[in-house]
Amino acid sequence: MIQIENLSKLYRLGTIGSGTFKRDLNNWLRGIFRKNSDSPARLRETGENAFAGKDHLWALRNVTFDIKEGEVCGIIGRNGAGKSTLLKVLSKITRPTEGFVRGRGKISSLLEIGTGFHADLSGRENIFISGSMLGMKKTEIKKKFDEIVEFSGIEQFLDTPVKRYSSGMYVRLAFGVAAHLEPDILIVDEVLAVGDAEFQKKCMGKMKDVSHQKGRTILFVSHNLQAVNNLCSKAIWLQKGSIHAMGETQMVVNRYLGAFQKKMWKREWGSPREAPGNDWLRILSVELIPHLPNPMAPIDIRTPLTVRFRFHNFNNQIHLSANLVLFSLAGDCIFDVPSVSGDFNEGVVEGECTIPGRFLNDGSYYFSLFFLKDTSRTIFEYEECLHFDVEDHRENIHWYDKWVGAVRPHFPFTLRNGNVSNNGHGALDTRRHLL
Amino acid sequence: MAEEKVKLEWEINKKTSWLGTSFKELYLYKDLLFSLVRKEFLSSYQQTLLGPFWVLLQPILTVFTSLLIFHKIIGVPTEGVPPLLYYLAGITLWNLFSDIFLGTSITFTQNVLVFNKVYFPRIIVPLSVVLLSGLRFLIQLVLFFIALTYYYLAGKVVIPVNTLLLAIPVIITTAGISLGAGLVFSIFTAKYRDFLGLLQVILRLLLFVCPIFYPMSIVPGKLKWLMNLNPLSAQFELYRYALLGKGQFTADQVLYSGLFMVVLLAGGMLLFNKTADRLVDVI
Repeated sequence: MIQIENLSKLYRLGTIGSGTFKRDLNNWLRGIFRKNSDSPARLRETGENAFAGKDHLWALRNVTFDIKEGEVCGIIGRNGAGKSTLLKVLSKITRPTEGFVRGRGKISSLLEIGTGFHADLSGRENIFISGSMLGMKKTEIKKKFDEIVEFSGIEQFLDTPVKRYSSGMYVRLAFGVAAHLEPDILIVDEVLAVGDAEFQKKCMGKMKDVSHQKGRTILFVSHNLQAVNNLCSKAIWLQKGSIHAMGETQMVVNRYLGAFQKKMWKREWGSPREAPGNDWLRILSVELIPHLPNPMAPIDIRTPLTVRFRFHNFNNQIHLSANLVLFSLAGDCIFDVPSVSGDFNEGVVEGECTIPGRFLNDGSYYFSLFFLKDTSRTIFEYEECLHFDVEDHRENIHWYDKWVGAVRPHFPFTLRNGNVSNNGHGALDTRRHLL
Repeated sequence: MAEEKVKLEWEINKKTSWLGTSFKELYLYKDLLFSLVRKEFLSSYQQTLLGPFWVLLQPILTVFTSLLIFHKIIGVPTEGVPPLLYYLAGITLWNLFSDIFLGTSITFTQNVLVFNKVYFPRIIVPLSVVLLSGLRFLIQLVLFFIALTYYYLAGKVVIPVNTLLLAIPVIITTAGISLGAGLVFSIFTAKYRDFLGLLQVILRLLLFVCPIFYPMSIVPGKLKWLMNLNPLSAQFELYRYALLGKGQFTADQVLYSGLFMVVLLAGGMLLFNKTADRLVDVI
């Protein structure tokens, strides 16, 4: 178990050179006469917000939380939010500027995989070096040696220097050593970012084992929100060094996603002059309406989306239609849906299109609208009118890698037991499906 | 709440201790110490043809070079001792000093990547350097005794049986001075890389200010103070006295270097312990 109270960490910015040397001397001399002239406490008093002056940065600020025994806690946040600093303090690599961490049990940290590996030495030697560096005893490593070799699948290359390993082999060996640590508290930073999908699955499996069966406490930092969702019972969202949200994983992850989704869901124009358009028509508003279970939830692959738009048509007796085109952020066209065409007189025209849930894959997208006359001549293109992100959602799937495909439709797809005779359940099931 | 506090085993806060980690913790990491020694030893001979023989080859080559320069060309006297033995004794002791000093003074700069990613008592790294250098020294010492036996059988030297054990305190004092100096320097080099350049200069200077290739007895009176100031001088003379029966030193000089060792080593250790955990932010 770990108790963290008021943990703060201040970093000095800038390079170390003659300037710092002068300041070091200055502080040292002043320190002799007056205690703590440039102390963090003083800086804290002077700096009101997260930044204490332009040459100092609070990487962590008043972070307080507890982790109970056997709890698996995920830490999320954008780059530079202080996640890694937190892990560094917890694993005793760097000291906090203020506050403290108290706890019970042996901590092992995996901030990197392959720590202490020496490229010139064989896999066998490196297992012992890396293992002992991570805090294992020699007898422990010996006991687990075969298991590690088997896990990483490098038997054949045990006596080859690791510099000749393929990067995959290297990573497997490195994680193999780490995975066989037996601490009471495990601190893991982004290790899943390496290796192929097959291997990631193995790692996740191992971590699940450790937490569920052996009841270990795990602190897990990752950008892979699927992994956090799947592994952790509790999540902490760090922002600018402070805790922004904390609690049940799904809730925190959803709030996090909601806050950072690229949003351009609604556009409206007060006066037609500023509105996009031409002599044919002027746009009045475009809006993306996601059908969310609650307003805090992010758009994920299950969410049905409605696009609604209004425009002013300047011509009488015109045969109009619109096309709604979806592009991925990379610019690939996902689909192009035409509206039903119709005859209109001058005035406001409204359009609406709904994309069902469980159709789009996760990713970032934008919509463009095209307006046509007589279903053939483009009279106005309104490109990139709406931006949105679709988050991933997986249930009962132990695959954590990116889901491939432009779309991810939910078609009926079943597997049947082929051993059952034709007039058995199999046939019945088929019939039911057809109905 | 009070009950819970009792159960907590450790605390991380901003305070660093002069005494550093407890012996209990160091003991827990003893396997790491040996595995670091093994790693360094093995890795320095990877992809070499001669492998570990370099431990012996290096001093042998240095001895022959100095034989050529100091004995044949310049003609420095060696107090009646065969020059090869004379140089071998000095060079092996010097190697011990420079190995430990250089190895420990780059503790932080060499291990940034590891120190940034995993915790263990940092003092383990300099200790592993001392162990490894000690191991190399012992191997070279065997070489010295082989040479000594050869010259003894040839009737050219007498083995000073009574003083041989005096070499042990000399070795300890020399290793202590170099470790102490190395620890202090490791802190300097961590923050200001300028000291890395300075290191080489200091070592080269020391090499010539120590009576390695020449006896103290030929140093002119005017320069004696410089030799006396150098705490290593007496050690080299004492070392040769112990192993070869020839050396010039006074009790004061020996006491001075012993005291120097204790102060430097204690100071270096304390400073290292106090600052090691904070240095990770500046390396």
